[in-house]
Amino acid sequence: MVRLRIALAIAGLMGLAACQPNDTASPPTHSAFARGTHGSFNPAPGGAPGDWTSQARDYANSRYSPLNQINTSNVGRLRAAWTFSDGALYGHEGAPLVTGNTMYTVSPFPNRAFALDLTKPGAPIKWVYDPAPSPMAIGKACCDPVLRGWAVGDGKLVYNLLDAHVVAVDLKSGKELWRTKMADVSRGTTMTMAAFIVGNKVFVGNSGGEMGVAGWFAALDLGTGKELWRAYATGSDKDVKIGPRFKPLYPQYAGKDLGLKTWPPGMAQHGAGSSWGFVSYDPELNLVYYGTSNPGPRVPSQRPGDNLWTSAVFARDADTGEAVWAYQFTPHDQWDYDGVNEMMLLDLPINGKLRHTLVHFDRNTYAYVLDRATGEVLKADTFAPQNWSTGFDWKTKRPIINPAKIPKVGEEVKNICPPDIGQKDWEPPSYSPRTGLIYAGIFNICMDLTNHKVSYIAGTPYDGMEMYRHSVDGKGGDWGALIAWDPVAGKRAWSIPEKFMVMSGTIATAGDLVFYGTTDGWFKAVDARNGKLLWRQKLSSGVIGQPITYLGPDGRQYVAVASGVGGAAMVQSALPGFPARGSTLYVFSVDGLDVNGGKPTARRGAP
Amino acid sequence: MRAPAIVAIALTAAVIGASTTGWILSSDDHARNGVIPTNMGYRGPAAVPLGDVAGAASFGAAISMPNPLGDDPMAVESGKKLFRAMNCAGCHGYSGGGGMGPALNDHYWRYGGAPAQIYKSIYEGRPQGMPAWGRALPADQLWRLTAYVSSLGGGVPPEQAEAALHGDTAGRTVRKAQDNAAEGGNGLEGQ
Repeated sequence: MVRLRIALAIAGLMGLAACQPNDTASPPTHSAFARGTHGSFNPAPGGAPGDWTSQARDYANSRYSPLNQINTSNVGRLRAAWTFSDGALYGHEGAPLVTGNTMYTVSPFPNRAFALDLTKPGAPIKWVYDPAPSPMAIGKACCDPVLRGWAVGDGKLVYNLLDAHVVAVDLKSGKELWRTKMADVSRGTTMTMAAFIVGNKVFVGNSGGEMGVAGWFAALDLGTGKELWRAYATGSDKDVKIGPRFKPLYPQYAGKDLGLKTWPPGMAQHGAGSSWGFVSYDPELNLVYYGTSNPGPRVPSQRPGDNLWTSAVFARDADTGEAVWAYQFTPHDQWDYDGVNEMMLLDLPINGKLRHTLVHFDRNTYAYVLDRATGEVLKADTFAPQNWSTGFDWKTKRPIINPAKIPKVGEEVKNICPPDIGQKDWEPPSYSPRTGLIYAGIFNICMDLTNHKVSYIAGTPYDGMEMYRHSVDGKGGDWGALIAWDPVAGKRAWSIPEKFMVMSGTIATAGDLVFYGTTDGWFKAVDARNGKLLWRQKLSSGVIGQPITYLGPDGRQYVAVASGVGGAAMVQSALPGFPARGSTLYVFSVDGLDVNGGKPTARRGAP
Repeated sequence: MRAPAIVAIALTAAVIGASTTGWILSSDDHARNGVIPTNMGYRGPAAVPLGDVAGAASFGAAISMPNPLGDDPMAVESGKKLFRAMNCAGCHGYSGGGGMGPALNDHYWRYGGAPAQIYKSIYEGRPQGMPAWGRALPADQLWRLTAYVSSLGGGVPPEQAEAALHGDTAGRTVRKAQDNAAEGGNGLEGQ
């Protein structure tokens, strides 16, 4: 409880710091917290309220901004202040970062970084960094050559290249400071997740769950790029870094070398469990949290067993990498559900008692609430339509599998919900301590699935799933929605149906606004309390990136989001009205005013 | 397949390799030498090569070579089995609609859609992740794969190979609205 108060005090200070005299948003009310009906989160690492220095803004992955200049009363006046194209026509999945009056953004392949000067009208380019990754990586990336984000820390911009290298670039000069090779791209390992910085460490993981890779998560030294530790998702306890500190809360996690023994002999080494989602961190427990991908091959009959530690969450000591606990969301994952979606670290009143929790919306359609110190499962509620399980077994802590939806080799199984990409993929939700709600972009889809046996051939897909995806509601039905989720009650507060999948991240602000985008290109602001649409703007391409909001050097609040459809959203590309690709970052402000106050800076022509 | 046939196919493959490289080097002698008359009475080598030195106007006969297996349906069927067994379907889709790799059932071919060009792409691999199967598979199997890929809906008949390079192929249809999505896109998404 002491910690809760500290968190609230910090949040309150941040809110005050952001206030401007003309702000019209109702002042934050903390009485709700005191009553214990709402939750909160630790806003560490803090930083200036007007900055946005990591993908989720904080270690807890809240994506909540204390800014409220833009609020429910004036959001209708948002107009574009400036736009920027990075020239890369692949899916734009990352959030631009803002610090030191500069915006940093990185394109999808070829992963060019840009520093934009926010002190000047139109935010001109300060520098461009071109890492020239291998084009071979394009054809090894399962789901479009995307990049889900980048990180800043210690004067460096750090991010993954698609060809399995990590680079650090000097924030001031744009010069490369170090480059570390993590894997051999020719054998199918790519890197698409957002690097995550805590202190002097960079945390990264691999992609390639469809390519028969061995999944891993690693820590590098921020100063030098030297690898400090690497933990695999499959293999021996030594490979997985399971040792004396590992506390198996449930019996299925007790035993030696389960990362080998829950697989047929020889298959764990190509069993995937890659880590390509967002990372979170609890500074008091010094634990990092991340999810692991589907097992490989995707054909389940070829790999009987629970296939530990795939489609799971790990809590690891940030300094040593030792596993402290793990929980497998989908044992023996037969539908490619993965466990990579973000872990939001929220302090919630569960059954009347404040718990330090981890909230996770899995692709398997369960919204889990776990104790983040121990991995104890506190809640598991479905947040969207699904039929692969018939319920949650609280005795075994596993979803109960519906035998009718088990995939078969050479035979089509109709209408499995959700499909491989889940009812929510990697797109990160946000949390507002003012409403106590989580705002998540989700899907409303199913698949008809035929499995084919596969062999491991290095550098080729180790896959075997042939799918036809469709709306839960049949032809012409909606493919997505935005939901406001009450994590304490375990149910929706409200939802907004959308024709297309909602694959953008969301942000929540102290102005009681939630921003999100749709894959057909609408960027929207809704009232965080009731979902009422307050503003929308059609962008050039679909939105699958993550919005941010920040204060410019002029003290004005801006909202930014990338428009560039791609990634898993491309499963909808045959739908009528699906947009073409794009590469444009949009930055909005009230009345579209920029740092020059909206006055033309160029001289007018002679009279 | 009998031994002589295999030898013949292997030889054919070798000829393609040599000739597709060769056409880059062969060109019109006049252009190569760049000997040009001028109104100044000067006859000598030009400062820059002129004419069709890069072979842009003439690709030679190699790309028009038909699949030695002809349009044998058995070749297409065995090619389909290989296409799945070698994990080609994982990238290009179970019916060629694309996914991680390009679609093979439309009329867009970055490296050409005539049989000899398809063969060459499979044999050599391509820079954006396509492996080089020439090391793993004998020529006979490469031609079977070629026969299957040619049958998916976008294959260019060998006699139209050169016309296709100029965009002059008759009878093409508008590219289908990326049916890779409906078909699955395969790799999507587990990473």
